[in-house]
Amino acid sequence: MTAAVQLDDVQVAAAGRVLLQLPRLRIEPGERVAIVGPNGAGKSTLLRLMAGLPPAPRAQVRGVVQVLGRRLAPAPLPAAQRRALRRETGVLMQGLHLVPRLSARENVLVGALGRLQGIQAWRSLLRWYPQALVAEADAALATLGLTDQAGVRADRLSGGERQKVALARMQLQQPRLLLADEPTSALDPAATAQVCAALVAAASGPGRTLVTVVHDLELLPRLATRVIGLADGRPVWDLPVAELNPLTLQALYARPPAGPAAAAAGLPPPTARLARA
Amino acid sequence: MTTLAGGRPWRLARGRSGFALLVALYGALVAACLLSLAGAGELSLGRNPWDNLLKTVGEFARPSFLDVWFGPERLEYRSDDGTLLRVEDRRQVEADFLAALGRATWVTFQIATLGSLLAALLALPLACAVARNLRAPRPLALAAKAVLDVARAVHTLVFGLILVGIVGLGPTAGVLAIALHSMGTYGKLFAESIESLDMAAVDAVRATGAGEAQVFFHGVWPSVLPQFVGHHLYVWEFNIRDSTILGLIGAGGLGLLISEAVSLFQWSRLATLLLVVVALVMSFDALSRRIREALR
Repeated sequence: MTAAVQLDDVQVAAAGRVLLQLPRLRIEPGERVAIVGPNGAGKSTLLRLMAGLPPAPRAQVRGVVQVLGRRLAPAPLPAAQRRALRRETGVLMQGLHLVPRLSARENVLVGALGRLQGIQAWRSLLRWYPQALVAEADAALATLGLTDQAGVRADRLSGGERQKVALARMQLQQPRLLLADEPTSALDPAATAQVCAALVAAASGPGRTLVTVVHDLELLPRLATRVIGLADGRPVWDLPVAELNPLTLQALYARPPAGPAAAAAGLPPPTARLARA
Repeated sequence: MTTLAGGRPWRLARGRSGFALLVALYGALVAACLLSLAGAGELSLGRNPWDNLLKTVGEFARPSFLDVWFGPERLEYRSDDGTLLRVEDRRQVEADFLAALGRATWVTFQIATLGSLLAALLALPLACAVARNLRAPRPLALAAKAVLDVARAVHTLVFGLILVGIVGLGPTAGVLAIALHSMGTYGKLFAESIESLDMAAVDAVRATGAGEAQVFFHGVWPSVLPQFVGHHLYVWEFNIRDSTILGLIGAGGLGLLISEAVSLFQWSRLATLLLVVVALVMSFDALSRRIREALR
C-alpha cells in the first residue's frame, strides 16, 4: 500500500542552515499525526514540504519526498500532476489567505473548484456553482457556527471567523491528505472545539490522513493518534498518543538549542525512536 | 544626494558640491534657451499685447451663447459707404451654433467612451502578461511591455494624424487614436493593480487544485476589479478632455468647432466651447468619484 507521506533522507537547508533533517518518515493512509516541538524546530517546514510548497525562501531540498504516491522531490512534478496532487491535498496554514472581496460562502466554494468537471468548471469562472455544492458550503459553514456570516465579505470577518472559513474551504475540497498548521491559533475555547471536531470529521473518511502542527498540547488526544516530536529540525521521538506522558513533552520543550555549544557541553545524543516501519 | 547620481558613470553629482554643480548646469541650460530665443528675436509679446489682451478678455467675458437671449434680432452689416451688405438674426445664428455644439459634444463623448472601452479591453491581456507576479513567459512579457511602452510614448494626436490618413476623417479615427494611446496608460495601471495583489490569497486558490483560469477569476479578478473600474473611470475622464482636441486634426467632435472659432478669432464662441468642455469634465469627475466611493 502506498504511504500517504514518505520521506527518505530528507534534508532542507536555507542560507547555510539546516532547517530539517529526517532520515525516514512514513505516514500511512488513515493515520492522524500531530507534530509538536519548540519554536524553530522545523514543524512548519516539514508541513510545507508535504504540501509541495517551497519549505522556506530559497531552500534547498535533498532526499526523496513522496506524497500520495507522487514524487515531489528531488525532481519537480509536471504541472498536470502537481495540480492533481494539490487537489488531493488540503492545506490550512497562515500563508494561505481568503480572497478578500469574495463572501465567506464564495470563499468556501473556492475549495470545490478542483472537483468541478466540464461545463461546471466553465460556469465556475462566473461564480455559478451547482446547487448541491452551495448547499454543501452552507452546511460546512453551519457546523462551524457561521450561518449568519455566509454572505459577509471575507475582509470584514474577524480573525477567528476567517480561520473557520479557511477550514470550511478545505472541507469542500474533500482532500485525501489534510495538512493543518496550528489550526486553532486565533480561536477561543468554544471555537477550538468546533474546529477540532470539523477537522477530525473531514479526515474521517476511508484512507484520509490528517497531519497537524499543534501548539496547544491539550488538543493532542483529540487531533492525533500518533505524535512526532521535533527539535532543531530532527525527530526526537515518534509515539502513539496513548504512550505519551507529560515528562516526554516537557523534555522536548526544555531541550537547549543544539549546535556547537550543546556539543561542547557534552550532551548525550537524543534517544530517537524513528519511523515505525 | 548620491541618488541624484543615478547610474554609476555619473560620479560628478556626488555630495553637496555635486548637487550645486547640477543646479549650475540646469541654470546654464535655461540661460541658453532664453538667450538663443532672444537672439533670434522670438522673445516678443507682439505689437500691442495689452490691447489684444483686453479685447480677448472682453470677448471671453461675453460668451456667445448669451446672444441666444440677449443678442440683437437684426444685426446689419454695412460697407464703408453705408450700403447694406447682410442682415443677421444673432439669436437664430447662435441657437443654430448651440445645436451644432450639442451634436459635437455628443460625438466627443462617443469618441472618448468607445476609445476608452476599446483601450481597456486591449490592455487587459497585455497587463496580465506584464504583471510580474502572474509569471507569464518572459518573451511574452517583454513583447507586451514593448507594445504598452510604445503606445504610451506616442501622443493621441500623433496616432490621430496617422489614423486619419488610414481610415479617413471622422470619429472612427478619433476612437482608434484614443484606444491606441490609452491602451498604454491602462496597461501600466492595470499591471500595477495586479502586482499589488494579495498573492497569499491567490496561492490559496491555487492550492485547492483549481485550474489557471479558475485561479485568475477567483483569486485575481475579484480583488483587482474595483481598482480596474477606478482606473477606467479616470482614464475615461482624461479621454473626454483629450478627445476635445482630436477635432483639430479632423477626427470629429468639439475640436473641429474649437479650431474654427480660433481661426476666425471668435473668442466669444471659444468661451462657450470651453465652458462646455469644463462642464463636461467636471460633471463626469463628480459622477466617477461617486461610483468609485460606492465600489470601495
